[in-house]
Amino acid sequence: MLKSTYKPSSALPPPLPPGWSEHKAPTGHTYYYNDSTKESTYHRPGAQVPPTSQPPQPSNPHASFSQYSSVPKLSDPAAANAFLAQYDPARQRPAQSFGQHGRGGYRGPGDGRDRPRPQPVDKPKSKVPIPGCEPWILVYTKYGRRFAYNPAKNASYWRMPEKIMQGVLELDINGIKDKASGAQADGKEKPGTTGPEAKDAAEVEEAEEQVELGSDYEEVEVTDDEDEEHEGGEAEGDDQHPSKRQRTEDPAEAMAAEFNEDDIADQLRAMGEDYGLDPGEYDDGNPDAWPEGAEGLPFSDADARELFKDLLNDYGTNPYSPWEKLIEEGRVFDDARYTVLSTMKARKDVWEEWSRERIHILKEQRAKEEKKDPRIPYMALLQQKASPKLYWPEFKRKYRKEGPMRDTSLNDRDREKWYREYINRLKQPQDALKKDLMALLREMPARALNNKVLLESLPSQMLADVRYISLDPKTRDPLVEAYIQTLGPPPEEAEAEEDEASRKAREDRRKREKALEERERSVAEEKRRQRRQLEHGKAALREEERELERAMQVGKKGLQSQLMAAQEKSGEVLVTSP
Amino acid sequence: MPAIRSLGSAARGAKKPPAGFEDIRDDLEVFGIKMKDAQNAPTNNVPKHQAQWPVFQVAHQRSRYVYELYYDKEAISRPLYEWLLKNGYADAMLIAKWKKQGYEKLCCLRCIQTKETNFQSTCICRVPKAQLKDEQDVQCVSCGCRGCASSD
Ligand SMILES: [Zn+2]
Ligand SMILES: [Zn+2]
Repeated sequence: MLKSTYKPSSALPPPLPPGWSEHKAPTGHTYYYNDSTKESTYHRPGAQVPPTSQPPQPSNPHASFSQYSSVPKLSDPAAANAFLAQYDPARQRPAQSFGQHGRGGYRGPGDGRDRPRPQPVDKPKSKVPIPGCEPWILVYTKYGRRFAYNPAKNASYWRMPEKIMQGVLELDINGIKDKASGAQADGKEKPGTTGPEAKDAAEVEEAEEQVELGSDYEEVEVTDDEDEEHEGGEAEGDDQHPSKRQRTEDPAEAMAAEFNEDDIADQLRAMGEDYGLDPGEYDDGNPDAWPEGAEGLPFSDADARELFKDLLNDYGTNPYSPWEKLIEEGRVFDDARYTVLSTMKARKDVWEEWSRERIHILKEQRAKEEKKDPRIPYMALLQQKASPKLYWPEFKRKYRKEGPMRDTSLNDRDREKWYREYINRLKQPQDALKKDLMALLREMPARALNNKVLLESLPSQMLADVRYISLDPKTRDPLVEAYIQTLGPPPEEAEAEEDEASRKAREDRRKREKALEERERSVAEEKRRQRRQLEHGKAALREEERELERAMQVGKKGLQSQLMAAQEKSGEVLVTSP
Repeated sequence: MPAIRSLGSAARGAKKPPAGFEDIRDDLEVFGIKMKDAQNAPTNNVPKHQAQWPVFQVAHQRSRYVYELYYDKEAISRPLYEWLLKNGYADAMLIAKWKKQGYEKLCCLRCIQTKETNFQSTCICRVPKAQLKDEQDVQCVSCGCRGCASSD
C-alpha cells in the first residue's frame, strides 16, 4: 500500500526574499518571479534548498523533513497531491477501503500492522519492471509519484535503493530518449513552433529529468503492507507518516531562466510526466480501458504458475521448508519468473501446490530407492576421507557433520564395521583388490549391469560394496568400463515411456519461457505506445492553450483599437467645440 | 505450553529420530535458533505482558510447520510426527485444537482459557473480525495475536 508521507504544515510560508513576487499561472499554479534577475520558478524562494548537483544523501529523513516541512511545494508530489485533491474531492477514497489487514495467527516479518491508519488519497496507477533488477518494479501512482517496490519483500521505497539505481537510471534514460523524439515530432506537427524551440524543450526536459533523477532517490520506506492491496489497486492512500524527505528540486529552479506561458505549459507537461499522469487520465477519461502496466496484458495463468514452479525447482528449494524461509532467504527475488505472479498470496498458493507435488514425487522416488543402499554415500565418504592414520573415533568426530555420518537409517555400529573393513582392505595389494572388483562385477545381473550402463549410473548394489571403493578410481574405472563393453544389451524393458514424458515436460517448459519473453516484449511495446499517445494528448492540450492565448491577445488589441478610436473621436469633439 | 524446544535434539538420551527427519532437520534447527533468540531477547523496554509474545509466536510457527507437514501435505510419517511431538518440536495440545472446527487458526491455548483473562471470557482475538466494530485493531494480551477466528 502506498502511504504518502506528506504532512500538511500549519506554519505560514516565510516571506519572499527581496525582488521576488508571487504570481498565479493561468493553470492556477503559483509561481514566483524575480524582477531583477528575470528568474521564475514554481519553487517558493527563501527555502533552503541544497544545490541540485548534490548527490542523494542517506541523511536522517526525519531531520530533513522538518527542514523543509514549512514550505509545501508543488514539486513535492505529496504537496501536488493535496493540491490536486483540493480540486477533485472525488479522488478521496473512503478510509474503509484500507481494512485489508487479514487477521489470523502470526505472520512473517514486515506485517506493518502497527502503522497508523492511512488517509487515502493516492494509489498505484501503473508499474514498470526495473530492468535487470527483478523483482523490483517502479510504481507510478495515480498522482504521479513514483516509488520502488519489491513485491517479494513487500517493501517500497521513495528513494531508490542503491542496488536498483542502475536499472531506474536505465528506465529514465530510455524515457528521456523517447520524450526527446516525441518532442521533435511535436515540433513538426505544430506550425507555430520553430525548430530550435522544440530542441530547447527537449533539452529542458532532459535537464529536468536529470534533476529529477537526483532528487528521486530518497531512502525512506513507504510501507511494507501486504500486497494483495496492490493487486486490486483498491485500497491505497496516504498516512501521516512524517518520515519522507521531501523532494527538494523543482525543475523550474534548475532551469533558472526566464520563461513565458509556453514554457509554463511545457513545465506542466513535464510535471505531468513526472507525476506519471497516464494517458487514460489525460484524454479519454476512461482509465478502465487502459492497461495497468504488465497486468493488463493477457498471460496464461497456468503458464505463470508453471514458471513459478520452475523457479522453485531451479533454486533447489526444499519442499519441506516453510514458506517464510523462501521469503526470508530472498534468493528467488531477482528472477524474472518471481514476478510472473503479481501477489504474494498467489505465490504462496503456487508454492503450496508445488511443495505438495514435490514431496509426493520425492516420496515415490524414495519408495523406489528404498532398496538403494544408504551405504552408498557412506562408502563414498570412506573412499574420500578414511585413512589408516585415523582411528574410528577420530574419523567419527572429524566428519560428524557430513551427511552420511548423520544419516539416521544407518547406525554407528555398522559405520564402524565398514570403516574397519575398508581400512583393512587399504592394506592389501592392488592385485588382490582388482581380483575382488572383478568378482563383484561378475556378480551383477544383466538387468543391473549391461553394455548400456554408463560409469555414472552404475547399479547401487555395486556402489554400496566395499570392494568397489577399495580401488582408486583411476585404476578402477577403466577396469569397469572395459568389463561393461564385454557385456550384452539389457533385457527388454519399457523405459521409453519415461523418456517420452520427460521430453514433453521439457517442451512445455520451453513454451512457457518463450511466452514470458513474449510478454515482456509486448509490455515494453505497450509502454511505448502509451507514451506516444500521451505525447499526442499533451501536444493537443498545448495547442489549445495557445489558441486561447491568441484569442486573448486579439481581444486585447481589439480593445485597444476601440479605445484609440474613442480618443480620436473625443479629440475631434474637443477641436470642434468652441 | 509444554516444554519448548530450542536448539536441535538437545534432550539427552533421546531416541534417534525416525526416517524422514533429515528432510526437516535444517528447518527445525532454524526454528530452534529463532526460539533461542526469542527466549533470550532483552525485555527491559518491553511491557511485562509482551515479553513472552515472541516465544509464543515461534512456538506457534513451529507447531504450524509440523502440523502442515503431517496433516496438510502428508510429508512426514506418523512415527516421525509422534517423535516430533514427544521431543517438543510441536505443541500437541494446540494441534489438537486446530483439528476442531472453529479453532483452525487458534493462536495459543491461553487465549481460550476463560479463567485467566480479564473478562471471564475468551480472548478478544477470538472474536471474528466481522463482529468487531469496523476496523478495530485488536491485539491480544496473552500472545500478541491480532485475530485468529476461523472466519477471518
Ligand atoms: Zn488469538
Ligand atoms: Zn493467543
